[in-house]
Amino acid sequence: MQQTSPLTRAARALAPLAWTGPAVVLIAVVVVWPVVEMIKSSFQKISRFGVVQGPNGMANYTKLFEEPDFPGVMARSVIWVVAVVAVTILLSLGLAQLFNQRFPGRRLARWAMIAPWAASVLMTGIIFKWMLDPEVGLLNVVRRDLGLLDALGSTEADQLGQASTAMPWLIAVAVFVSLPFTTYALLAGLSTIPAEVYEAAKTDGASRLRTYWSITLPLLRPALIVATLINVMNVFNNFPIIWVMTHGQPGYSTATSTIFMFILKGSDIGESAAMSVVNFGMVIVLVAIFLKVSKWKNEVS
Amino acid sequence: MSKRIAGVVTLGVAAALALSACGGESGGGDGGGADKAAGGSVTLKLVAADYGDGPTADNSGDKFWKGVVDEFQAANPGIKVDVQVINWNDIDTQVATMVQNGQMPDILQTGDYSGFVKDGLLYKVDEVLSPNTRSDLLEKFAEFGKVDGAAYGIPFVSSARALFYNKDLFTKAGVSEPPKTWDELKAAAEKLKKAGVTQPFGLPLGQEEAQGESFLWFMGNGGGYKDASGQWAIDSAQNVETFAFLKDLHAAGLTTPNPGTKDRKTVWEDFAAGKVGMVNGGPMSMPIFEKGGLTNYGVAPIPGKGGPLDTTLGVEDWIMAFNKNGHQEEIKKFFDFFYASSAAQKISDTYKLLPVTKSGIEKLSGDEKLKPFLDALPNATFYPFTDPKWSEVNTQIKQTIGGAVTGDPAKVLGAIQKVATAG
Repeated sequence: MQQTSPLTRAARALAPLAWTGPAVVLIAVVVVWPVVEMIKSSFQKISRFGVVQGPNGMANYTKLFEEPDFPGVMARSVIWVVAVVAVTILLSLGLAQLFNQRFPGRRLARWAMIAPWAASVLMTGIIFKWMLDPEVGLLNVVRRDLGLLDALGSTEADQLGQASTAMPWLIAVAVFVSLPFTTYALLAGLSTIPAEVYEAAKTDGASRLRTYWSITLPLLRPALIVATLINVMNVFNNFPIIWVMTHGQPGYSTATSTIFMFILKGSDIGESAAMSVVNFGMVIVLVAIFLKVSKWKNEVS
Repeated sequence: MSKRIAGVVTLGVAAALALSACGGESGGGDGGGADKAAGGSVTLKLVAADYGDGPTADNSGDKFWKGVVDEFQAANPGIKVDVQVINWNDIDTQVATMVQNGQMPDILQTGDYSGFVKDGLLYKVDEVLSPNTRSDLLEKFAEFGKVDGAAYGIPFVSSARALFYNKDLFTKAGVSEPPKTWDELKAAAEKLKKAGVTQPFGLPLGQEEAQGESFLWFMGNGGGYKDASGQWAIDSAQNVETFAFLKDLHAAGLTTPNPGTKDRKTVWEDFAAGKVGMVNGGPMSMPIFEKGGLTNYGVAPIPGKGGPLDTTLGVEDWIMAFNKNGHQEEIKKFFDFFYASSAAQKISDTYKLLPVTKSGIEKLSGDEKLKPFLDALPNATFYPFTDPKWSEVNTQIKQTIGGAVTGDPAKVLGAIQKVATAG
């Protein structure tokens, strides 16, 4: 056998780079670099037009943590994520189950389910804001016609004007736009469960509830974990719904950390960058907690 | 008559800077010197905010500037002007990007200049404006172009505000004339409420422009953001009393519901739709009202606690010159041309904005509708936007001041005062 030249061997060793290289470069440029820049900015003093005026030590973070609204904003962000994701997953489990059955018009129903997904989130937010307008909003007109509302233009008609009624609406809209993806992910999970296991369960005389709890859910776990994870990150970083519908107002009472970060950008870019870093850390922590709790390693990998 | 106008001028929108990134690098180099040495033409890059309704509208900023530039270029063959018009929503961020990338324009027209001063990016006004033009500017307006005694910002356009009221609703409610005092305002609002008007007084204290609406009310009680000695006085007794009055008005259901979440635009549209009895507005809101189908409205001075305001909230937009490309002489020619031309009148006609020069006011004085605003302009009061803290304070006001109508005024205003005086 002829000896391969060192050059050929080197080329062969480097060959995988041709395949992984572009991905590595892409990740470095699109993910790693901005993260590094963001962290760097959070330690700098930056003029409001973005000109760096020098290092600022921990001052941006100190200022951020001393903001009177900071604790409330962070607590609200966690509640927001947990509420939206939990409700989304629960509803999607039901919807996926439904869409997995055969029934007339299933194809149409499945298509309809895509609609909130296909529409831009911004548009969805604007439409809901219109429907809730205290003077002319469709929902308020209906409420008045049903006798549930005394007068248009009143404080009760203005549900987005107060945190106690605005938050549920914001959560509802976030759930609405998250449902399609989640439902489809779970639907895909359901279709991978072989029919034989259900037959076996039937033979053993397991009840429907028991079958769902002991067979469907465990086998659905990988899909469930992926759907939850993606939702957690999406919802945490969700900006348009809240911004369009309430601007985080009144005060900061409907603001999550993403909204807070954007508002801070108008007054102090360095502090806003510090908020971004905290935000970034929060997502990682939330995801880590979730993965730990769900013991994903046993299931997904 | 002049006493009757209260105005507040806020030109449209907040604004800061805009630049756009295209072009221009090739001609750059060391700037003016090199260009002049070549004896060739110099290209000025001008970035401006769009006062119109977008690039395709009849009143687009592109068309306005093209008219100005064509005339200028015809008179100054050696100078070419590249114009980039950016809408108000994007101009701040786009200019910030240009500055960060070092692609400064030569001339920028937008809502604020002060942020560039600290970074040393601007020519002083006397370097780019001839004495004649300088002396034509309204003193009070030009004064606000100064940072630490040196002028950098050149007033571009201004605006003023007054109280607009729906005459049909007033007749229906049996209110014979617009209120002059807070008590009269409340009485009128109560009558309007009884007549079935859902929002007797439109009170936009939401994110869009809470700082303007609040300021108008503060002035009505002799208050403001700063006291006479120039110290922040956001939680002064007058201001707290002002919000106590508004809180009372809101609790009685006489204002827009939840004012702290309502944008000016929404309330103006409600006024246009006949849902609002009274609202503070300016020349720039007239087209919105008329477009919404409301023509039978009246304009009156803004009521204060004891009587109508004798000042107007002056809001002005700015034009400024960047020093990076070194086109000082050419910029000077352009500015002198601009202020001597009919451009100011054209802006006023097209966009319902007001001039900033004595000669400009002179030219428009024949317009009865604008006269009250013009009379009040020289006595204008301004936002304290030359204070470096203002942008931070402004952000805080926009987000939280509406809470003073539902919560404890002293506490809410005190929190904003704390932001203003911190560090």
